[in-house]
Amino acid sequence: MLSDLGRELRFAWREPVVRWTTLIAFGFTVFALTAGLLEVRNQEREIAGLAAATVEDQKLVLDGQPDPGSAAYYTFHLTYDPPSALAFAALGSRDELSWKHRLRMLAVEGQIYETDTDNSELSLIGQLDFAYLVSILLPLLVIGLLFDLEARERRESRYELVCATSAHGRGIFLVRALARCLILAAAIALPFLGFALYGGVSIGDSLLVLALASGHILFWLLVCRLVTVRNLEGATAALILLSLWFLLSVVVPVVGKTGVERMVAVPDGGHILLTQREKVNDAWDLPKSATMDPFLKTYPELTDYAEIKRQFEWKWYYAFQEMGDQTAAPLSTDLYEGMRARDGAMGWVALLSPPLMTHRVLTQMAQTDVDRHLRYVQCARDFHARLRHFFYPMLFGPKPFSKENMSELPQFEPCIDRES
Amino acid sequence: MSETVLVAEELCVDRGDRRVLENVSFSVGRGDVFALLGGNGAGKSTALLTFLGFIHPSYGEAYVNGLSVKDRIREVREQTAYLPEATSLYTHLSARENLQYFLSLTGVTRSAQEIDQGLDDVSLAADVRDRRLSTYSKGMRQKVAIALAILRRTPVLLLDEPTSGLDPVAIDEFNSILGGLSQGGTTVFMVTHDVYGACQVAQRIGLLQHGRMVGLFEAGDGGQISAEAVHKTFAEQQSR
Repeated sequence: MLSDLGRELRFAWREPVVRWTTLIAFGFTVFALTAGLLEVRNQEREIAGLAAATVEDQKLVLDGQPDPGSAAYYTFHLTYDPPSALAFAALGSRDELSWKHRLRMLAVEGQIYETDTDNSELSLIGQLDFAYLVSILLPLLVIGLLFDLEARERRESRYELVCATSAHGRGIFLVRALARCLILAAAIALPFLGFALYGGVSIGDSLLVLALASGHILFWLLVCRLVTVRNLEGATAALILLSLWFLLSVVVPVVGKTGVERMVAVPDGGHILLTQREKVNDAWDLPKSATMDPFLKTYPELTDYAEIKRQFEWKWYYAFQEMGDQTAAPLSTDLYEGMRARDGAMGWVALLSPPLMTHRVLTQMAQTDVDRHLRYVQCARDFHARLRHFFYPMLFGPKPFSKENMSELPQFEPCIDRES
Repeated sequence: MSETVLVAEELCVDRGDRRVLENVSFSVGRGDVFALLGGNGAGKSTALLTFLGFIHPSYGEAYVNGLSVKDRIREVREQTAYLPEATSLYTHLSARENLQYFLSLTGVTRSAQEIDQGLDDVSLAADVRDRRLSTYSKGMRQKVAIALAILRRTPVLLLDEPTSGLDPVAIDEFNSILGGLSQGGTTVFMVTHDVYGACQVAQRIGLLQHGRMVGLFEAGDGGQISAEAVHKTFAEQQSR
């Protein structure tokens, strides 16, 4: 069997259609990987640049602040989700959802959604990255290589000769199909391995990605065989295979997404932003007790320091910011639970669509899926909560506003490291 | 007749509700050349493909060297070299590459010298052997296909319209090759339109008309079958 495969590999490599398809696959792969790597490098540079600028900015701003309220108000903090080593292969949610924020100690929900008002969290497939290539374009190349495999031999009156000559009879065409697919797999595997090595991806992860891509190729090989063994003409087989590709790669994901969106309603980010801002804006016109009473229910330990004596005090200002967050919290929870529910439902839809499943698994492996985004947003929220816990004691009084105390200002650290 | 190698036993083949072969029986002895003649649609190629297992008879059975085609197709194909009608080897490969490829398909390996000998046997010019078949004439391609059949060294050769499209010189060369193979013990079953060519090489000729065997001619000792007799019967059957 191995010697047959070797012979068919050599034979396939002599065929112009195989060489052209291989060249196209190789070219697309290099392009997709380069585009992905450049995007990830851009994101890394952006993070590094913003982190350095934030440190500088904080130094400058904190130097001249007279009180903790001003210090909290004018100090910005960078939160971000660093790309994983494999992110260049599957940009996933990093292409659609925010992976960095510039936060300060105002109401956090509004700041999170300022960059996310289009609520694009369920966009299907983004730019032409390796995951898109493997899940959507690769099946077309497999179809291109296999739709005419037997029909061409019949058309050129060679079918009986080949079957009668081969020790495997008609089985020779399965070996040929395997050989062509192996060449195609090599055309994407070699550049991927090069980029993975350069990008610091572990061998295990690289092999898993290639196993997934091979599995997807194998699926389409079987589909092609099921269709072409029916003695169809090449054009008919191509039409059927392209219809199947369209059904599995486009119709099922789109219909599934539409159905899931109808079944699982989620508030959009803009609505959350407005709800929170309206609450904050309303607070200016309400009696201070309307803000402070519910605030102190959350922070009873600050009750002794909560008296508002002047028309404006920072502690009241930050209290109504937090009340804005509390008002928007149910909506925010609905959004994130909805996103998780939609993502989970799309996982079921993916069982009907191997291309969608391949794309999902690749983004999971690259940690660029919806789950990773939600974990990052929670990470940003947690950091914001640390800021509040840092500033509240100074704002309300028990802790003095001093250089020494300010030197302990929380600095953001990504909750999810590169290799997690 | 010498030891029987090919047997068609009351072969009936249906295509849809149409019967394309009706109770066709014949046998071919070792080293004999048997030609099946007939007009278009007479069922000649169907009869031949039945011996390769590509067409399954609805009744009757075909045997090669005592092996049932239906039950032992793999072994039957190992013993049979087949030359299809419109020989269409791979045009992006050279003659040598085609031979190497097809021989390796059968699991047979032949040295470069043996392959050259095969090409010598069919008189393919040495200077074209490494050229792609896309540059060959039909006759040259046919020679390569015949070389393949020779190099396989199988006891049985099945030929579908082997001289179709060949010029007279190439037909003579082919008939000469066939005669040599036959003398070497290879059993040949060929289907053809070419009455005169068949009479030159075949020891026995069957005449097929609308799926039925309507005539069987046999050469006398060392002699040839009379082309006039075959032609006359053929013409009579056609006019019915």
